[in-house]
Amino acid sequence: MTLTTILAQQLVNGLVLGSFYALVALGYTMVFGVVKLLNFAHGDLYMTGAFVGFLAFSLVAGTLGASWLGVALSILLSMIAVGFLGVIIERIAYAPMLKAPRLSILITALAVSLVLQNGILTLSNGQVLPFSPKLGFAGINLGDIFINYKQIALAGTAAVLMLGLELFVSRTQYGRAMRAVSVDKDMSELMGIDVNRVIAVTFFLGSALAAAAGTMAGAYYGSIWYFMGFLIGLKAFTAAVIGGIGSIPGAMLGGLVLGLLESFGTQIPGIGSEWKDVFSFSVLILVLVFKPTGLLGKSEQERM
Amino acid sequence: MRLPVTPALAGLALALALSTATIAADIKIGVLVPTTGSEATYGQDMANAVQIAQEELNKAGGGNTYSMVVGDDGCDPQQAVNAATKLASSGISGVVGGYCSGATIPTLKIFGDAKIPMVITAANSTKLIPANPGNAYLINSTGNDQVAKVLEVLKAKNVKALAIVNEGDAYSQDLATLAQKGFTEAGGTVPSFETVNKGEQDFSSVVTKIKAANPDAVFWTAYYADGGPFIKQLREGGYGGLIIVGDGSTSTELFKLAGDAAEGVLALSSPTPDFLPNAKAFADTYKAKFGNAPGPYAALTYDGMKLLASAITTAGGTDPAKVMDALQKSDFKDGLAGEITFRDDHTLARSNFIVLEGKGGAWALAKY
Repeated sequence: MTLTTILAQQLVNGLVLGSFYALVALGYTMVFGVVKLLNFAHGDLYMTGAFVGFLAFSLVAGTLGASWLGVALSILLSMIAVGFLGVIIERIAYAPMLKAPRLSILITALAVSLVLQNGILTLSNGQVLPFSPKLGFAGINLGDIFINYKQIALAGTAAVLMLGLELFVSRTQYGRAMRAVSVDKDMSELMGIDVNRVIAVTFFLGSALAAAAGTMAGAYYGSIWYFMGFLIGLKAFTAAVIGGIGSIPGAMLGGLVLGLLESFGTQIPGIGSEWKDVFSFSVLILVLVFKPTGLLGKSEQERM
Repeated sequence: MRLPVTPALAGLALALALSTATIAADIKIGVLVPTTGSEATYGQDMANAVQIAQEELNKAGGGNTYSMVVGDDGCDPQQAVNAATKLASSGISGVVGGYCSGATIPTLKIFGDAKIPMVITAANSTKLIPANPGNAYLINSTGNDQVAKVLEVLKAKNVKALAIVNEGDAYSQDLATLAQKGFTEAGGTVPSFETVNKGEQDFSSVVTKIKAANPDAVFWTAYYADGGPFIKQLREGGYGGLIIVGDGSTSTELFKLAGDAAEGVLALSSPTPDFLPNAKAFADTYKAKFGNAPGPYAALTYDGMKLLASAITTAGGTDPAKVMDALQKSDFKDGLAGEITFRDDHTLARSNFIVLEGKGGAWALAKY
């Protein structure tokens, strides 16, 4: 393999990994934008999404087959189910805390994370479950680099979901309401916007995106377990901060940047896989030093 | 005044009996294993194995009657210290067990101070060796022996360049650095030495790097949960060379996670009952008694109990110094997992690692 081929292959790896980070980061950033909450349970919604997707897949695989159609339908079912789970969590755990100090709601988010993790731990007995749809190994060769169809489908699905979200937020009435609430909640309420409903929609969308990412990750990597959301939750949070938390295009950019940093970080001589996290988190620090609001974040004055 | 005489006579009789205790004695053996927590299945399995050995010993007669006390270390260093302290004060003459190295290490000093001989039957971190105050004997081969076996296999396979992948935790990193050192000293090269995060599912960038380095073999030193996806991604990424995994990845779950990619993968394993020709009868007894097949460390733990009993017989009693002496000199041939003799550092004199090969979705014994 020549160096160019290696770098091109790492580019593909980084983009695929980055799509996951971006999808999960979107949920962080949307929730933060609207209710100013760092939803630390978000990584666990991703994990729950993977399990719900797995369950859906085992139900539909019998009739639709264990191939693309089956996986697509499980992703859809998982998105709907976990979307509603997100809304329920918001209603039960977060809504009563919205007027409380920020720290209280942050701790609540940690508690929700533990509840989800331990719930799935109990249900799955802590086992690593194999999630293996039959998607084959086929793919296309671009010169020396090989991209399989799974990677294309994955990045493509992520792109479609992100584009859909962008259109939803910028073109629809709900999207406009969402943006309004993120600018000034009280004023939006005075203007007749149903803030509670907007918050519910936000949680639904964020959780559904996490569920999509979780199910895709399970099907793509072939295994799921109760702790799979922890690391990606952390990484997606990092991606959201790099891109500018609260900014939707920022989360997408941040996810891709982090994915690329990690895959190229693995390849840098003298840094290597052992130091790739040090490398990507150093970049995070640099970004925050020179642009504290993140790459696409807007500066916002703290209102007391 | 007849009354006081009887106790005196009885006392005399007891003294006589004690002085000839070598012929018949009740001997209590402590069993230190995790029976709760994440490793509970392995611990319970070991306790069951001791029970079978103990019942066989009692049935065979030979004078001594053995009873067992189980201490639950929960695979947790702190809980292990409590369990060991409790065991040490309950009048035991020896200890069998030790599954988690991390939990076993702090108990060594407690049993050492109490002068209680200990046979460690599963835990095998090289860190146990310097921590041993002199009373403990390891009958499961340590990381050093695993590396020796890996090097043997690599030599037989004519591997010149080796990629090593670990997860940065004490166990897998220890194995990885030992393997790197051993392989380079034996004249090989390690073009790629990688560390991945535990629980991270995406190995694509590491796979690309390994493929570019083009090694003859890849050695995965960590556990099966991430090993399965790693092997799968390695094969999907187009790597065609040999893949070897360490003893943390010998679970059959590996085949469910890696699928067809696990075919032909070689694994280093402790001698599990499935692959021991002598363990057939033991496995049958175990299954009849406990309803499931014996786990990976059952045979070794059974051997451990038998070894300790044989040392007590040789020593002619439970005097700790004599039992330890007998253990050190033991030349135990009745083991399910092969004979036991010890090196000066109290580790098993031979490597008991066996090599398995993935065939048709299960492990099969490979000859190396």
